[in-house]
Amino acid sequence: MLITCPYCGPRDVIEFTYQGDGNRERPDPASQNFEAWNAYVYDRLNPAGDHNEIWQHSGGCRAHLRVVRNTLTHEISSVAFVRGDHASAARRKAEDKA
Amino acid sequence: MAERQSPLEPEFHVGSHGNFEHGVEILLTETRPGSIVQLAAWPGEEKKLIAAIRTVTGLALPDGAGGGSSDGVKSVFGFAPGKFTVADEAEGLAAAFAKAVTPAIGTVTDLSHGRTAIRIAGPKAEWVLAKFFAIDFALPAFPVGAGRSTAHHDVFAQIQRTGADQFDIYVFRSFARSFWKALCHASEEVGYEVQ
Amino acid sequence: MSPRRTDTGGRIDRLKTIRFSFDGVAYTGHAGDTLASALLAKGVTLFGRSFKYHRPRGLLTAGVEEPNALVTVLKGEVREPNIPATMVEIHDGLVAISQNRFPSLAWDIHAVNQLGGKILSAGFYYKTFMGPVIGPLKGTRFWMFCEHFIRRAAGLGSAGSAKDPAHYERMNAFCDVLVVGSGPAGLMAAKAAADQGARVMLADLEPRFGGSTNWSNETIDGAPAADWARRTVTQLEGRDNVRLLPRTTVWGYYDNNTLAALERVSDHKEQPAKGEPRHRYWAIRARSVVLATGAFERPLVFPGNDRPGVMLAHAAERYANEFGVLPGERIALFTNNDSAYRAAIALKKAGAAIVAIADVRSELSPEMRKLATEAEAEIFAGHAVVATEGGKALSGVKVQRFDMVTGALTGDERSIHADCLLMSGGWSPTIHLASQAGAKAEWNAARQAFLPPKPAQQWIGAGAFTGSFSTAEAIAEGRAAGLAAAGGTSTPAALPTVEAVHGDPDPAPVFEIRAKGKSFVDFQHDVTAEDVRLAHREGFVSVEHLKRYTTLGMATDQGKSSNVPGLAIMAEALGKPIPEVGTTRFRPPFAPVSIGSLAAERFGDLKPERLTPMHDWHVANGATMYSAGLWYRPMIYGLSGETIEQAYVREAKATRESAGIVDVSTLGKIAVQGPDAAAFLDRVYTNMFSTLAVGKARYGLMLREDGFAFDDGTTWRLGEQDFLMTTTTANAGKVMQHLEYFLDVIWPDLKVHVTSVTDEWAGAAIGGPKARQILAACVTGTAVDNATLPFMGIVHGQIAGVPVMICRLSFSGEMAFEVYSGAGHGIHVWEALIEAGKPFGLVAYGLEALGTMRIEKGHVTGAEIDGRTTARDLHLDWMLSKKKPFIGSAMMDREGLIASDRLELVGLIALDNRPLNGGAHIVEALDETNPHGSIGHITACCYSPALGKHIALALVQAGKARHGTRAHVSDPLRNRFGPVEIVSNHFYDPEGTRMHG
Repeated sequence: MLITCPYCGPRDVIEFTYQGDGNRERPDPASQNFEAWNAYVYDRLNPAGDHNEIWQHSGGCRAHLRVVRNTLTHEISSVAFVRGDHASAARRKAEDKA
Repeated sequence: MAERQSPLEPEFHVGSHGNFEHGVEILLTETRPGSIVQLAAWPGEEKKLIAAIRTVTGLALPDGAGGGSSDGVKSVFGFAPGKFTVADEAEGLAAAFAKAVTPAIGTVTDLSHGRTAIRIAGPKAEWVLAKFFAIDFALPAFPVGAGRSTAHHDVFAQIQRTGADQFDIYVFRSFARSFWKALCHASEEVGYEVQ
Repeated sequence: MSPRRTDTGGRIDRLKTIRFSFDGVAYTGHAGDTLASALLAKGVTLFGRSFKYHRPRGLLTAGVEEPNALVTVLKGEVREPNIPATMVEIHDGLVAISQNRFPSLAWDIHAVNQLGGKILSAGFYYKTFMGPVIGPLKGTRFWMFCEHFIRRAAGLGSAGSAKDPAHYERMNAFCDVLVVGSGPAGLMAAKAAADQGARVMLADLEPRFGGSTNWSNETIDGAPAADWARRTVTQLEGRDNVRLLPRTTVWGYYDNNTLAALERVSDHKEQPAKGEPRHRYWAIRARSVVLATGAFERPLVFPGNDRPGVMLAHAAERYANEFGVLPGERIALFTNNDSAYRAAIALKKAGAAIVAIADVRSELSPEMRKLATEAEAEIFAGHAVVATEGGKALSGVKVQRFDMVTGALTGDERSIHADCLLMSGGWSPTIHLASQAGAKAEWNAARQAFLPPKPAQQWIGAGAFTGSFSTAEAIAEGRAAGLAAAGGTSTPAALPTVEAVHGDPDPAPVFEIRAKGKSFVDFQHDVTAEDVRLAHREGFVSVEHLKRYTTLGMATDQGKSSNVPGLAIMAEALGKPIPEVGTTRFRPPFAPVSIGSLAAERFGDLKPERLTPMHDWHVANGATMYSAGLWYRPMIYGLSGETIEQAYVREAKATRESAGIVDVSTLGKIAVQGPDAAAFLDRVYTNMFSTLAVGKARYGLMLREDGFAFDDGTTWRLGEQDFLMTTTTANAGKVMQHLEYFLDVIWPDLKVHVTSVTDEWAGAAIGGPKARQILAACVTGTAVDNATLPFMGIVHGQIAGVPVMICRLSFSGEMAFEVYSGAGHGIHVWEALIEAGKPFGLVAYGLEALGTMRIEKGHVTGAEIDGRTTARDLHLDWMLSKKKPFIGSAMMDREGLIASDRLELVGLIALDNRPLNGGAHIVEALDETNPHGSIGHITACCYSPALGKHIALALVQAGKARHGTRAHVSDPLRNRFGPVEIVSNHFYDPEGTRMHG
């Protein structure tokens, strides 16, 4: 499986670390709503199909990526920096050969 | 001040090795820069950081991810969004940047001791590096000056192409000897010289 | 009569003689020979014994699909079993032996299994060795009892146990076009793509490029096809955008057009060149792939089809034309298609007599009749071979009239004297890689074959792979595929012209001749047509069940020759058409792959390791090194004659009495920088860091989101916006990722950068009553007295002329300091400290003494922060700030995490004065016959020189309330039982007077 890191280009999955379900919403830090915390820490969607996931390019630029991956086919339909403010650092199209 | 000790020393054997009877196709050396510094800009401050790099080193960074340049004495390249590695033959780069990179622009981290810079050069440099890293070393995909961050098993590496067939590899110091041994081993079949 | 070398012809070099041995007998062959062709040239027809029945077997094929002629190659002490003799290139000194025979290939005692053939049918072992329902050998125990004997009798070659000294390598490659297969289609594709300027890789599993051109009698552009191929290869060799990979099997087609290939770099050499690997594993990322993998010829299924001397028609053609070996003098053919006639002509030309051609079709085209006449062969149209004769070698065949529609055999059998029978049951395109790439093969009724599916990835097929069996089609398709793969458009240049024997590519739909006797479908696993029908009768009708019950297609050849005939027979039994029976999906690897090539450089001496700056000093000073993750750390610095315990007791004692020094460079170190660094640390740690003054350090604890303890360490405030965090050695990477995750994903608004600086700093911890005096003796630029350097204070100074940073903190419980210097100065500073410490009795100590002193102090490490313990369990609840939320704060007070019966950290003292064991359980009362009722377990233990006792840390249910009570260790595995006293985990100097000084 390859993941196309917006900074580094397409790299083998071995360079990445799965960092969990991208649908989790962290409750307000001061919140004492146990149900919300429980859902955040333990509940996972596990869909058969497109899944919103967080991957870290730990063996490369170390940025966190929001990856939409089909859990049935491994097909990746989109990859983007989790941080919106990194968008300007994305690899230019012309260099997309790597 | 005492000279910095190389982590490679017991495994650093100057001379020709491996299958060199038909010619040496790889040159290996440790470049031992006096300074290695990591610079990181806050989001939106990248241009100011790039300007600061130009002020301190005189090197202009080309646009785009992984862009970099080298004048043979100083080198700089991007390795992550807003982050750059700068190396200089001279010591004191971190102090120079501490002045130029204000807290409003970003941070300066001195890694002069923490990273070991190994240079691999020669007609078979791409061939030998391909044994370690799953990135495309061909010139069109990896132009001169550009940088890449990747990993070989657990060994993180930042690689800058500093010539058509020359690469500088920055690895964590603790892994350097192990990586060096592997690099020598992988170069044996084509014949290599340690300088 | 027997096979022999021809006087001329073939792609071998008759001037170069090569000496090798097979089963202890010396042979000679020529450069360009395989083990199979060289032995065949010497009249050897018996190559192996079959898997189950130990029937004599000869060569069926000339290539990678060979199911019978498996050999073991010996190289020194190393033995590699199950290699097809057809894939072994001979070299001087090659030693190969046959397999699955005892005492010899010709006289094999297990051959009696043939007499019991009816019994050893499909499922025999399952049925017979289920065992009685009761008794000592009931159920599977009976199988386990018998298995040893069965495994010895059945099976393939055995692997050796010697360490393989060969070197293997991994190579990562990128290309625009990967061409798999170098026959006419592959060569054309590679050339067309290369002409477009694409980066091309061309791989072929054979040593010789050219595929069928090496053995066909065809001409291309007026010259022998092989000359055309050689010219094309020479053109490709001269281009720097082309990489040619002979002897390279592309064995896996994975996601994202990533392919795996095995290059046999030096197996064909007597000795590899210096530094040359044996095998190279290629991980190839190709923009597009041209699959030009050709097709496999299928055997026909009829009684005695496995007798040595019966071989595939094209294989004989290869032996004659490629290797200059005639597989027999009097050759008969049996076919359901036209391609065998080409073989007849080739063998006739090479000097054999073609005695008969039996063709299941009663109507033959005039062209085929003409070819048969040319070959001077007697034609038996509408006939089938119903038996083969001879012992270990073929002496004749019997033919009988055959009705293709009903399968009926009529009329008299006629015997034909022949020493070789060539069979052709049609061709199956080699679609394995296309199938692996993720799509279902499609049955083509005309070709009677599975054709490649519509591509599920970026590949284009060409030639026989697509079911286009003629060379002219291969050339046209190859060029089109190469162009398309390179993104080019059609060029008007004329295609090379081919002169070839034209035949109908479609075979008659006949797979089996049902007559009396064993008819083999899967030669390597000894599966007969009757086994397939038996499986059907017993209800194993799905193709997947059929495969598992009969083991059809599960041998090392993965059914390359048997899959389609097996399916056809099952389809007939079910009364369904073949496509409805379906086929199993091909999976990697296409052909066996050496494990060495997969492990490559991760193995042995080349495994990555991490060394501290002081590593060489440790080794030179007698340290026994211990691997902690990838790090190497001193365990003890043993004096001669000392045991490990004596060494660590001496080291710990000396530290508590005078001073000790330990290398702590492996601790994880993370620079946390930026205007929000302090705020970030407040969120990450359970305790406050924003209140920490510059120049001071603080011990911190981190929890995970779920409220359990995660890691601990000290963090030093070096500047207003500049912190140096330390982590445990083992968790350095995990903590780094934890911090990065929160900064990137949860709190992107925080202006904080984290950087691993573990390798930037060398760390030496020096502790003991004399530690301060030693520092005072060597540190310049700063005082180290209590006022300048209080507990948890940080100062900057120099040692031996290099800058150091000193923090006064203690893990040993003594007055202690951590001295950090640039890693390149680490050994310089370490040696200066050792020198300064000499008058004070300073000793270097290792991990054992470090562990001993921390147990005495009751400090926790990863053994206690094991992912299941909370801060409260470890008595660290004083560190849980109530003034702020932090990671884990919302979840740490859940019911289960504050229950009163949780395991809590305690100390244990062995009351019987004997050593305790890590992992041993604690029970309230001792009952050696029933050692249940664990109330906890030991996490760490040692002999404590400070207490003079064997002590341990343990996690015990409601442990704090049990202080002062007795319990027992219960460790039945190590037979260690005995009384212990439960005490506080702070064994030694609980008030900390020693470290506060």
